[in-house]
Amino acid sequence: MRTGVTLFCLMLTAAGTYAQQVSYQRIAAAESDPSTWTTYSGNYQAQRFSLLDQINRQNVPRLKPTWIYQMRHAGIVETSPIVVDGVMYITEPPSTATALDIRTGRPLWTYTPKIPSDVIIIGSPPVNRGMAILDNLVYFGTVNCHLIALDAKTGIVRWDTKVDENKKGYYITAAPLAVDGKIIIGISGAETGIRGFLDAYDPKTGKRLWRTYTVPAKGERGSETWGGESWQHGGGSTWVTGSYDPDLHLVYWGTGNPAPDWNDETRPGDNLYTSSLIAVDPSDGKIKWHFQFTPHDVHDWDATEIPILFDAEVKGRPRKVVSMANRNGFYYVLDRQTGEFLTAVPYVKQTWADGLDAKGRPFARRDADPKVDGTLVYPAIAGGANWWSPSYSPKTRLFYQAAREIAGVYYKGDAEYKDGTAYTGGGGEVKGGDEAYGAIRALEATTGNLKWEFKLLTPPQAGLLSTAGGLVFGGTEEGDFFALDADTGKPLWDLQLGAAVRANPMSFALDGKQQVVITAGSSLFVFGLP
Amino acid sequence: MAVLISFSAAAAAPSGNLEKGKQLFLGMCSRCHGVEGAGGEGPNLSRPVLANAPDDTTLRAVIRDGIPDRGMPRIRRFTDSELDALVVFVRSLGRSTGRAAVGNPGRGKAVYQRLACASCHTIAGEGGILGPELTNIGAHRAADYLRQSIVDPAAALPRGVMAIPGRGFNEFLPVHLVTDTGQEVRGVRVNEDTFTIQVRDTAGRLYSFRKADVKQLDKELGQSLMPEYKSRISGADLDDLIAYLASLEGAK
Repeated sequence: MRTGVTLFCLMLTAAGTYAQQVSYQRIAAAESDPSTWTTYSGNYQAQRFSLLDQINRQNVPRLKPTWIYQMRHAGIVETSPIVVDGVMYITEPPSTATALDIRTGRPLWTYTPKIPSDVIIIGSPPVNRGMAILDNLVYFGTVNCHLIALDAKTGIVRWDTKVDENKKGYYITAAPLAVDGKIIIGISGAETGIRGFLDAYDPKTGKRLWRTYTVPAKGERGSETWGGESWQHGGGSTWVTGSYDPDLHLVYWGTGNPAPDWNDETRPGDNLYTSSLIAVDPSDGKIKWHFQFTPHDVHDWDATEIPILFDAEVKGRPRKVVSMANRNGFYYVLDRQTGEFLTAVPYVKQTWADGLDAKGRPFARRDADPKVDGTLVYPAIAGGANWWSPSYSPKTRLFYQAAREIAGVYYKGDAEYKDGTAYTGGGGEVKGGDEAYGAIRALEATTGNLKWEFKLLTPPQAGLLSTAGGLVFGGTEEGDFFALDADTGKPLWDLQLGAAVRANPMSFALDGKQQVVITAGSSLFVFGLP
Repeated sequence: MAVLISFSAAAAAPSGNLEKGKQLFLGMCSRCHGVEGAGGEGPNLSRPVLANAPDDTTLRAVIRDGIPDRGMPRIRRFTDSELDALVVFVRSLGRSTGRAAVGNPGRGKAVYQRLACASCHTIAGEGGILGPELTNIGAHRAADYLRQSIVDPAAALPRGVMAIPGRGFNEFLPVHLVTDTGQEVRGVRVNEDTFTIQVRDTAGRLYSFRKADVKQLDKELGQSLMPEYKSRISGADLDDLIAYLASLEGAK
């Protein structure tokens, strides 16, 4: 008996010390173990591509549920799971962290922090997109703007740091990004006139290591792009997880709209670094370069889509590329070493710009600006793309995007700044229903040229996963989960899951068998071959 | 001090507030509730008492928080003064008298029976299912809209009253389809997703198809299965029928 207990303890210790240590090196070498999924987007390049190829064009119609987990907390589910060492880590709306046994879906632990009843969430539904893992801790943000570290095995709180004041409208929906010795987190809140930033925290203590504002203060570089004191409430949220190039030692992160969104009277100028991509040195937070997709944005063209990294020959030259299908309707290809603009093309119908100049700056149509009695513009307020992830397959060299073909009417309204209240200066309505549609589009990644499309009944709000099995998985607002041929877009399998898919698919392996994961409604589904 | 100033300004210029509220309403609300609040996809607001917003406090809450499951979105972008103006305007809709139906509801009921409207429409549990239920139609649609629905049905197609097929979709959309095996179906769309469509034909039979098995699918947008009554009803009969329909507000 006694011997048995000792042995059991020894085994626990061994497992605790070695088997479940998710080191930075292990995350950076994601390709070496495709049975895991250790970052929000699957790898630091944010490609949301799985090297697993067991599920393929021939056998995908045989997919069956392995298990289903139903969220204990109501609300819209946008979580992207992390899977490593037998455990799946998810978040439930609005701010619950839960660990599931990957064999059965049975919860191993769950943690819900105290959220004040008067929490301020303006600008999005109260959602959470997932966790990060580093060594023995998992990390997630909350709607009252805390960053919390939990013991990965038990869910015990290791630290809980207030990132900023929720009373001023700061809140967190993004999953953190764990890099070497840093937890990087972005915030939401531009619709309340926050001043946006990107933060890095010490993984072990929760102490803030640096803060980089996305809106420069008076006198700082870029401050000349703001009128008067408008920078103080200039917006520039950082609400979707970025990507990372360990070799260049740069983190790529998208920034959101300037505030107020639709009334620009107080903020003449380009309003740097809003609606931009910033390349940040993770050791000190310094902005190495920036590219502003939408200078002086008046449509809420957040650039908080996923910046995907890949290497390819562009216009006859090998390049390290970062690309993004932007909310504003254009697909951009940039050099990720320098930020140099390489090319951009519209991937959905857009009517707000007469194309772009040689440096990628749009010729914005001023007659497309919001007006008191409304202005009809393509795309609608959620954009051609939004937070849901695209996917890049190194095998097909295609960039897959869930695209929205929909018009919106943009209104200009009053904008009065008051802590923690709406500071949007207008709003919009969407021309949905039978007048709109969606599509999964496969773009040639270096040019943005359309290779194929698969039409959807309505504009989607769900991400994509591509796999080495030659498949693209996606979901619809009507609850379809489907697989397309990655080369042709031909539909190969679909299943009605009963509620809107508003999350990103991912893949992992259970005992050597590939699984594909998606959430629909309040349920998380794991599919595998029988 | 700021509070006092804004209060007196509002008190001194209610017409300004009304005008501002009207602009906001035209912008954010009119697509569903109609330009004059007479109803469209959303309920008719030109009535003295709103079921979900009997007072200004509840009206503000409905605008701010929406009505989940009923298609009313939450609108968090308004400033306090914009919200005040919007409430003033919505309340003014309930006081306008110009929109009342002029006919006689009792005689209109007889017209409804004579024209056999009940063969396709149900009121209070009685009638057919090919067209929309009318039990509560007076709460959703104002007189002008009802008039158009009768005279020129295709110009006033129902949208957004039912939870299925969903917000913004045309309801009772006529569809015609032919399957790969040659089966032909004409009816109204019940629901649809990217891969399937559900149709009910004029005899009330339900069909469900995978689109992969359908070689031709015509969605007859802008058309209605309801016949035009322009040439079959006019004058006092039409006014009476509208008055009858406008009086239908469901179970109290």
